[in-house]
Amino acid sequence: MGGLQKKKYERGSATNYISRNKARKKLRLSLADFRRLCILKGIYPHEPKHKKKVNKGSTAPRTFYLLKDIRFLLHEPIVGKFREYKIFVRKLKKAYGKAEWSGVERLRENKPAYKLDHIIKERYPTFIDALRDVDDALSMCFLFSTFARSGKCHVQVIQLCRRLSVEWMNYIITSQSLRKVFLTIKGIYYQADVLGQTITWIVPYQFTHDHPTDVDYRVMATFTEFYTTLLGFVNFRLYQTLNLVYPPKVSCSNCLDGQGEFSFKSECEEDYALESESYSEKLSALSASLVRTVPSVDEEEVELDHFPVEGEDLEKMEAREKIELELNKQKKLFEGLKFFLNREVPRESLAFVIRCLGGQVSWDKSLCIGSTYDETDETITHHIVDRPSIDKQYINRYYIQPQWVYDCVNGKILLPVEDYFLGVTLPPHLSPFVEESEGDYVPPEKLKLMALQRGEKPQAAAAEEEEEDEEEEEEEDDEEEDDQSEGEDEAEDEENLAEMEAKRAQGKSLSVKVTPGKAKPENRMRAYQEEKAEEKRLAIMMMKKREKYLYDKIMFGKKRNVREANKLAAKRKAHDEAGKADKKKKKKKC
Amino acid sequence: MAAARRHKRMAASQPGFLPLKSNLDGDSFNKKLRKRVNKNKKKNWNKFSDIQDVEEFLDDVRLQERATGGLISERTDDSLFFVDIGEKDEKDKDTQLQTTEKGKRSKPLRIDLILQSNSHIPAPKNVLAFQQPNAKKQRRTLERVAKSAAKGILPRREKLLQLRRAAAASGVSAKERPEAKNNPNRAFYDLWCAGTPETADPYYLEQTKKKLVKRPDRLNEKPSVLPAIEVIAPGGSYNPDFFSHQDLLREAHEVEVKKIKVEEKLARRLAVKEDVATAESTFKEQVEGLIEEEEIEPEDPEVDTEDTVIGPTATQEKKTEKQRKKEKAERIKELQRKAERRVIDKRQQLFQLRSISANLKKQEQRTKMRQAQRKAKQEAQKSMPRRLGRLKFQTPELDVQLSGELASSLRSLKPEGSILKDRFLSLQKRNIIEPRERAKVKRKYKAKYSEKRAFREIQ
Repeated sequence: MGGLQKKKYERGSATNYISRNKARKKLRLSLADFRRLCILKGIYPHEPKHKKKVNKGSTAPRTFYLLKDIRFLLHEPIVGKFREYKIFVRKLKKAYGKAEWSGVERLRENKPAYKLDHIIKERYPTFIDALRDVDDALSMCFLFSTFARSGKCHVQVIQLCRRLSVEWMNYIITSQSLRKVFLTIKGIYYQADVLGQTITWIVPYQFTHDHPTDVDYRVMATFTEFYTTLLGFVNFRLYQTLNLVYPPKVSCSNCLDGQGEFSFKSECEEDYALESESYSEKLSALSASLVRTVPSVDEEEVELDHFPVEGEDLEKMEAREKIELELNKQKKLFEGLKFFLNREVPRESLAFVIRCLGGQVSWDKSLCIGSTYDETDETITHHIVDRPSIDKQYINRYYIQPQWVYDCVNGKILLPVEDYFLGVTLPPHLSPFVEESEGDYVPPEKLKLMALQRGEKPQAAAAEEEEEDEEEEEEEDDEEEDDQSEGEDEAEDEENLAEMEAKRAQGKSLSVKVTPGKAKPENRMRAYQEEKAEEKRLAIMMMKKREKYLYDKIMFGKKRNVREANKLAAKRKAHDEAGKADKKKKKKKC
Repeated sequence: MAAARRHKRMAASQPGFLPLKSNLDGDSFNKKLRKRVNKNKKKNWNKFSDIQDVEEFLDDVRLQERATGGLISERTDDSLFFVDIGEKDEKDKDTQLQTTEKGKRSKPLRIDLILQSNSHIPAPKNVLAFQQPNAKKQRRTLERVAKSAAKGILPRREKLLQLRRAAAASGVSAKERPEAKNNPNRAFYDLWCAGTPETADPYYLEQTKKKLVKRPDRLNEKPSVLPAIEVIAPGGSYNPDFFSHQDLLREAHEVEVKKIKVEEKLARRLAVKEDVATAESTFKEQVEGLIEEEEIEPEDPEVDTEDTVIGPTATQEKKTEKQRKKEKAERIKELQRKAERRVIDKRQQLFQLRSISANLKKQEQRTKMRQAQRKAKQEAQKSMPRRLGRLKFQTPELDVQLSGELASSLRSLKPEGSILKDRFLSLQKRNIIEPRERAKVKRKYKAKYSEKRAFREIQ
């Protein structure tokens, strides 16, 4: 017995946390400055486990920080800068009030400024750390670069964001690392693979801004301040990895073709932008490639090293090689193709995507700076148009809708252009970010795409598109094929399909004939499979009651998934048929 | 006025003076009888001296000066007249001149011609525009500076500049001011390159605050496991697959239904109950108890009133010694019985081992299950927005386009929602910032409105 009585709230969680107001007072900062500091340093509020204890018995909702975090903040040199800035503002106000203009000028010259370099180094000790966190930075930069020059943020910030985002896009183009694009009702999602990191970002459509009122612009501006610094360093490093000159320079190889052309071009540029701006505008046109510090040797295929491996590793290796091959194919998808953008399509996005896949792109001279060839160029292969019809058409090029480009990126193959011709109802634009697991519902368009990727000809589909009034039989045929495709989906095996195909062909050509007997080559396979099935059945029988229960549950879940998928597929078919019937009716009426 | 008159006299006295406007009413003016007025007051001088002739004359002079650049009478004859040889040549020359200047005829716009000043007299200079404020003071300071420069004394600014230059030349760089971080053209360098390792004494660096404090590792963990960019569901595509679009719509629909349910519930709870007083019910209330009802009151159950006693019944009686002993013995006996029972139970447990072990197993299983549940809950919590402040995080409404709103082509697409708001909410969702709302403007006093009279009159 005895000793001092323990006081409440003097140990434990009550001392580990500090309320925001107290932290603010400890740092001697205003609330706005405190917020800014926390954002820059990456210190987040924390929800304590026992709020009432931390809050000294009160249950009022408060924002808490960890005391250690705040102590860490005390060492930050920027805090001093914030205080200096506060004093600067005070002095400036005073000078204004007294109309001491020379004083104002002197103060302005000595305006305190701070750098964030050390914070970035501190928060991201290695380059890869920074790259992992660049998603946010990119989205914010792309967003701010589309802002109008209104009073919502400084013009300089907008310009900086624009510069950084253009640099990023140029890097992605040069490194050809774009993987996925998704056009949504919100904006355009891009996904790229940069130095092994998957980076996703969203870009708003142009001219879509109404400034929402319930967003704290000051907070967002602080984030942008940090992210622009981060992105600047990341860009610099990325350019270095590719031996590109930083700040980026447009290579003038195409300008040097002929003197006459060059002068003509410069004249155009004068029309478009001021001399001081034309450089950055040209860069943002994304049509020209960048200058390298080391003149690039014709890029030779970097082949993966082969190591003698066995068993599982071999399989993995093969899979990896397959992926690598696919990637290379995707990178060179548009190589040799020449695109021309009509003026109603989103120029920047399309130019970015096309150039990422190695295509050439141009547009009307009056649309934007940096067009490389005219509409009349005979070598143009694809003309991207987004209007119902066009007056003057050239025979030797495809007139297609912009979705084709994006779908090609996602499908990793050149899709048949027929579905995307002018005035044709487009197939749905599927999300490349969805990965269906086995047994899920897969939209038929995706199935078609997967078949195309495997290199099969979509005859049935094409026929469906072209000939609308088909015979009933043919429709049945289609259905059969559909069924089969579903089956194949479950099996996920190409060979299986081929087998079935062959079987069907046999079945059709079946005639009453006696043929010499053949040794069945698949017998062995079947026996093996049967044996396996038998083993499985026995294993199930041998299961303990509890395990059996679990197993049944799992199987039931799987079956349910399949059932639902089937239901959806059936629904879709019904829907399609209804659509077809409507079409027929319309045709009859016509 | 006097000066003008003098001027007139002077001009008129000259021999070749030709007034441009002939003065017709000059004679009638002379004939008029002059009114007699006192001229001892300046007011009268102005009032009754007729100066129209002078003004007209001066107007004429000004007109001449404007039109020809001087008095016509002072011009030489050569400048006024020319020998008319023929018009043709000059016209040709004129047209030639105009055509040869450029390929096309550059004819000035009529609007410019109208606006051009055709006066021969240059506009007077604005004196104030050329005056410098504080000119005298500045001149004096310049003189003083020059004087001191002659003696070899330089002004402070100059001195500092020279010092800086000397420092730069000798290689000692002056203290650099940090550049603004949003300056688009600041220098580039690689932040993550391995620089030269610090060679100075770490203790010195620490004490002079040149070494930054190490960031705790805990701070590099993200407060939420959610990804930075959450990609919209496949139904959010601009040209979605029918079923995924329906899925998204259903999701949005469910959210909406839930909201409506909550609202309905609130309305139901707040609703005024239905038993509002009617005329009939009030009347009934008023006559309550006055009218003898036909119903027979239930008869009181048979209550034996004779036995009821109020208050404590049993008076405490002292126990006898015998009773006490008996009770004590009973108590001891009971305790013994219980102890025995316990021993027997323990012995019996040996035979219950199976059921006990089963029980234990059950208990263990239960704890394990609870642990798993707790763990799962914690995992789920990691991706949930936490309560970080006064406000709770509100999940934003799903951005959907109804089937009718879907755009037929990329060109006619109308974007939904705002990405800025999305980003902001994502930061809140990932526990990076606490949810906030816009501060409301508080008024100390109520605003007072009054109509202006002008406004009232209109109405």
